Amino acid sequence: MTLQAPGFWPPTGPEIVFLLLGVVALGSALLVVTTRQLVHAALWLVVCFGALAGGYLVLTAEFVAWVQVLIYVGAVVVLLLFGIMLTRAPIGRSADLDSGNRWAAALVALATAAVLVTVVVSGFRTAYAPLDPGQGAAKPLGSSIFRTWVLPFEALSVLLLAALVGAIVLSRTDIQGRK
Amino acid sequence: MHIVYPVVVSALLFSIGVYGVLARRNAILVLMSVELMLNAVNLNLVAFDVWLRDRLHGGQVLTLFVIVIAAAEVGLGLAIVLAVFRNRKTIDVDRLRDLSEDLTEADPEEVRP
Amino acid sequence: MNGTIQAPTIEYALLAPMLVVFGAAIVGVLVEAFAPRYLRSAIHVPLTLLSLAGAFALTIWQAAAKGIPTKAAAMGAVAVDGPALFIWGTILVLAFVSVLLIKGEDHFVAAASAVPGSAEEEQALHEGAAHSEIYPLVLFAVGGMLLFPAANDLLVAFVALEVMSLPLYLLCGLARRRRLLSQEAAVKYFLLGAFSSAFFLYGTALLYGYAGSIDLAKISTAVGSVGGQDTLLYIGAAMLGVGLLFKIGAAPFQAWKPDVYQGAPTPITALMASGTLVAAFGALVRVFWVGLGGLDWDWRPVLYGVAILTMVVGAVLAITQTDIKRMLAYSSIAHGGFLLVGVIATGKAAAQNASALSGILFYLVAYGFTTVGAFAVVTMVRDAGGEAWHLSRWAGLGKRSPLLAGIFAFFLLAFAGIPLTSGFFGKYAVFQAAVSGGALPLVIVGVVASAVAAFFYVRVIVLMFFSDPAADGPSIVLPSRGTAAVVGLAVLATVVLGVYPQPVLDLAHSAAQSLFVR
Repeated sequence: MTLQAPGFWPPTGPEIVFLLLGVVALGSALLVVTTRQLVHAALWLVVCFGALAGGYLVLTAEFVAWVQVLIYVGAVVVLLLFGIMLTRAPIGRSADLDSGNRWAAALVALATAAVLVTVVVSGFRTAYAPLDPGQGAAKPLGSSIFRTWVLPFEALSVLLLAALVGAIVLSRTDIQGRK
Repeated sequence: MHIVYPVVVSALLFSIGVYGVLARRNAILVLMSVELMLNAVNLNLVAFDVWLRDRLHGGQVLTLFVIVIAAAEVGLGLAIVLAVFRNRKTIDVDRLRDLSEDLTEADPEEVRP
Repeated sequence: MNGTIQAPTIEYALLAPMLVVFGAAIVGVLVEAFAPRYLRSAIHVPLTLLSLAGAFALTIWQAAAKGIPTKAAAMGAVAVDGPALFIWGTILVLAFVSVLLIKGEDHFVAAASAVPGSAEEEQALHEGAAHSEIYPLVLFAVGGMLLFPAANDLLVAFVALEVMSLPLYLLCGLARRRRLLSQEAAVKYFLLGAFSSAFFLYGTALLYGYAGSIDLAKISTAVGSVGGQDTLLYIGAAMLGVGLLFKIGAAPFQAWKPDVYQGAPTPITALMASGTLVAAFGALVRVFWVGLGGLDWDWRPVLYGVAILTMVVGAVLAITQTDIKRMLAYSSIAHGGFLLVGVIATGKAAAQNASALSGILFYLVAYGFTTVGAFAVVTMVRDAGGEAWHLSRWAGLGKRSPLLAGIFAFFLLAFAGIPLTSGFFGKYAVFQAAVSGGALPLVIVGVVASAVAAFFYVRVIVLMFFSDPAADGPSIVLPSRGTAAVVGLAVLATVVLGVYPQPVLDLAHSAAQSLFVR
């Protein structure tokens, strides 16, 4: 897989696009965890997830990219926004979003980043994958889900049912029901 | 595509998520940070899948599963967080301190808002 | 690929126990949707108990009549081997017992969405409303517990982990009394659980990048053959380990356990302390032995340290507790440490591995029963505001209710590992395997930690029998038939396994003999 990897310079077109998207994703992720406004955090999350979806497209994982847009950007962020509204978060700046151990957290995060980046750079320095489209289309993915991964897929449907029932148990208020 | 690009982006994204979980007090923001960590995992998995030309598409399938599970988790998590909010009018995890080592002297029933 | 999907082969008979549990859970959801309210509990309880009993019978039938399969089922996703069948049987029995406890009293909130003390809650209580959805949710969690230790690749393991955990996050928040504590437990468990599963996943991703597969057997072959990427493998294995060790509550990832065990409704605590622990240990052993078996020289020192830390933290912090449920939680942490001793006791020879595995299996059965029994006793000692958790309220219990206090004392002695209780043989089996595996220092730490813990258990016993009861002491509720049966069963199991452990030891041994399929 690593035979004849071209050098890092000059970067190819897809690589430039991916790196730009990566910078957008990282920048918006940083804003998600540092912004002082709750609603902005959710909106930056949209940018981050969208940039990642673009990254998946560049990596030829088209089906995953669309699922990312549909579920993460479409559903998860909307849910989070609902959560923010229902907990009556103030629009605008709030002072108490960060806890006192921010510096300790930053230290831990920097250490994690240092370790992980060193590890993956040393592990994948020479790894090169030529991109050919169609690898991640719905068809190959579907046929492997419904053959190799069919049991976890079914377990996943059970999980969704359980989560659904659970969320209803916690939230519904007409528990007395019809008499 | 050099695989090192996506995996470095992923490692950094994961660390940002770790920072968010540790530094944020609002439960919904903590949840968002966990989502960032899961997205970092997804990017990793997709990149490896493409690199390995996995015939079974293990990486991309796991990515799909993670996305679905994350959605279920967020749904359930928000239900739990909202239940707490209804009772306490706050979702500040730093103020959820009734369960800790020195609680037991006080009768928790009396800590009601 | 010519436009059609080749049908997968699924060994339905082999997976039957799991399918029965999931099927019953789905039927339970349908009951919830269509049956009239007054009938639901009457349908749910027998449905849940029958499905668990049926699944247990199917497990036995599989092991006894059809023999232990030698290859993984369902397209290599699930490995139903000797240890998995033994663990399934254990989980099913413990879940059955926990369901008896769940049905026993009104442990659960009448209307989860109502604010405590509000008019809606009054009304819901008055009308006798109840969340009968608890039964299907428990079944979902039990199904996840069955899948988790049998998962043969990391994808299935992750899905199973979430199927097991999501319902439990929720069930933790449904206590009828001390609602705020209960919901706080749910939030903490949920956030920390989600955080730890992100670590589990990142570890999975790195191992996937290392080995090119998420199949445990293929990872194991890659460990031997792929060179030059060792740091990747170490970090991947470490992050995977963090996720797994979190679930068993090993130090330094134990912080959630006392909080969650205290806040959750006691029957759910019993289910988590028994079933979840058994399932998580099954999965931990499978991942470390099968997937990372070739790496054991590298993970063994780390787990060595974790085991020591876990035993010491569990035993020492238990001493400072004044709350009975927190104390039992720390005891559960310490027992997790003792079990880790068994995980480390691997060796070159298959016989050594088999004896370590059978020790772990026996320990899980013994501890599971005793802990369910202990939590069942906790549900019966009540104050006006609910269960009496503070230890000072338990003073003099032996004078007011000698039988109950005697039973509880017996469970505590079993936790401590006194001879003639099941705990003794459990510890003996694990420690013996560790000694022959060359981990003598670890065993010494283990024995000292048990002695420290025993000191605390004895203090509780002294408190119950030799101090004067408070005038307004807690009352002992007359147990319902379910709770009484749970306590009876737990006592029986603890005595039988302590006096005549041979049949179960043999069973564990023969289950462990074949080791894990790959």
